[in-house]
Amino acid sequence: MQSKPDLGRRALVFVPYGWLAVFFLMPFLLVLAISLSSVRLGMPPYEPLYEWQGSLLSIRLNLENFIFVLSENTYLLAYLTSLKVAAISTALMLAIAYPLAYGIASCAPQTRSVLIFLVIVPFWSSMLIRVYAWMSILRNDGLLNSLLLNLGVISEPLRIMNTETAIYIGIVYTYLPFMVLPIYANLSASDRTLIEAARDLGCSRLAAFWRVTFPLSLRSVAAGSALVFIPVIGEFVVPDLLGGADTQMIGRTIWMEFFNNRDWPVASAVTVLLLIILVIPIVLFQTRLSRTTK
Amino acid sequence: MQSYVSIENLSKSFGFFTAVDDVSIGIGRGEFFSLLGPSGCGKSTLLRMIAGFETPTSGAVRLDGEEVTDVPAHRRPTNMMFQSYALFPHLTVGKNIAFGLEQDRLARAEIRQRVSEVAEKLQLTALLDRKPQQLSGGQRQRVALARALVKRPKVLLLDEPLGALDKNLRTETQHELVRLQRELGLTFIIVTHDQHEAMTVSSRIAIMQQGKVLQIGSPAEVYETPVSRYVAKFLGEANVFEGGATRRSGNELAVESAEAGGSVVAAAADHVSTNGRFWVSVRPERVELTKQGSGLEGVIEQFSYAGSGRHYRVRLKSGATLDALRVNLGAEDDLSIGDTVFASWMPQAARLLAD
Repeated sequence: MQSKPDLGRRALVFVPYGWLAVFFLMPFLLVLAISLSSVRLGMPPYEPLYEWQGSLLSIRLNLENFIFVLSENTYLLAYLTSLKVAAISTALMLAIAYPLAYGIASCAPQTRSVLIFLVIVPFWSSMLIRVYAWMSILRNDGLLNSLLLNLGVISEPLRIMNTETAIYIGIVYTYLPFMVLPIYANLSASDRTLIEAARDLGCSRLAAFWRVTFPLSLRSVAAGSALVFIPVIGEFVVPDLLGGADTQMIGRTIWMEFFNNRDWPVASAVTVLLLIILVIPIVLFQTRLSRTTK
Repeated sequence: MQSYVSIENLSKSFGFFTAVDDVSIGIGRGEFFSLLGPSGCGKSTLLRMIAGFETPTSGAVRLDGEEVTDVPAHRRPTNMMFQSYALFPHLTVGKNIAFGLEQDRLARAEIRQRVSEVAEKLQLTALLDRKPQQLSGGQRQRVALARALVKRPKVLLLDEPLGALDKNLRTETQHELVRLQRELGLTFIIVTHDQHEAMTVSSRIAIMQQGKVLQIGSPAEVYETPVSRYVAKFLGEANVFEGGATRRSGNELAVESAEAGGSVVAAAADHVSTNGRFWVSVRPERVELTKQGSGLEGVIEQFSYAGSGRHYRVRLKSGATLDALRVNLGAEDDLSIGDTVFASWMPQAARLLAD
């Protein structure tokens, strides 16, 4: 009698796992295979990993791509730049999103839903269009500069476009909702009597925030940070459209290897290494988190 | 005499709704004082004004002679035990208890000593390293109590502190609270909707309804001499009959009551005018049922056995009902449903009410 809903539940769990297996694990295995191959002219532009020579199966695993990527400074630099941009923009988003989420969560319920709606509204238009809009704002003869010039705040246009600043503006703008939503969800569900209890035990408003509200929201801060940090590392559109040639992030590196150099094996090796760089800290973080909850 | 906690003409309105309406109460040092009333009567709002969580619309609160009306909650010498306990889920039991002392920046050694003292008093020593979510309801309740007590407040405020416990544990905890309060000599103010709980623990009770205090007195006073029908019925059961013409003989009044369908007796009371509308109230356990004799005649309509007593509902000839309770002393029950009985009581068992 009881096994029936159990079976249904198991089937339900299988859906996301199946999805991940088909659309994440399989492509990843393909990329891994290509990264162990070597480049050639033709279609596909890489050597097959195995060959049948009569009854002899010969498998060739080529580690040269990895050795090449690890020994070339360009790639290392691109990784470090990506990590730096991701870290700084995550910190910036945290600094903006936390007060924003806190402010929204302390509003009356009707006001809250309107404000959260406003946070989500930009998602209704394409990200590409919004990034293009930023180009026309940040250009030397763009909206921002004309406004400041006309107001007499500056006498020469500010060079923002094609700089790292423009990348930060674009990334923070694009990813902010992913940081706001989990923190807001946590803060709006938090138990107000805990704050009263802290106040009753001698805390000022500020002390109650630091000793109760903030530590209880750390989990959502971690979730929001992971939600923006990971995709920002591989971000391609924003640095490509708003950034300059001097900021080479890993996303653009992969793109160039694939499409400019047509070197699929090296591009795949870069991708696999990026994944390893990302997965290890996440796994460590997750195990730590589950240990502290126990 | 100067009260230790003095609530003076305190009112609180939320928009058009008046939650607390011109309440004045004086509470002595070391009292175990109850605010009793149905939900929505304003008792919790009153407690929250004493704690400093609500700002009164008008009136004043004084603690130990000092006016605290505008003092924010974190600077008041009061501590509150919340109905939901409000334990900090990210801190261990020990850290929860130490929370207020750490905020006051006491020395580590003193904090440790005071925490272990209160933990021992409340049998929490073995649980200090646990997180609140690993505790049972009764243990959480004790942690909440310890966290408030460890600050040695002048007044401990308890908002429905036992509401979440099951009945047996609640009774036990009531006695435990009284013992603690005596031992520590603290002033306790408790909010409850449970009249039995209020009677068990309190030195005095204030009965509230719709933001007003109806009566203040010791449990015996409010039970024996309620000021109104509402108080009489809220504190336990009461049979209430509207009174008519009276005849006085000595200290006794014979009251004609159309509602009861005859004459009922009550002790003579000077303070209630018998000219206007008035009521005679008598507790079920004071009613005597006999198969023959005098009194109000009726038929037993319902019977329930409650272990410690037998409860009868009698349909009187007038059509009104009357409840009677016979304490179970082990004698065999000689009454059953459908029997004709006569209900009577001693004059001093009944009380005249003007409202």
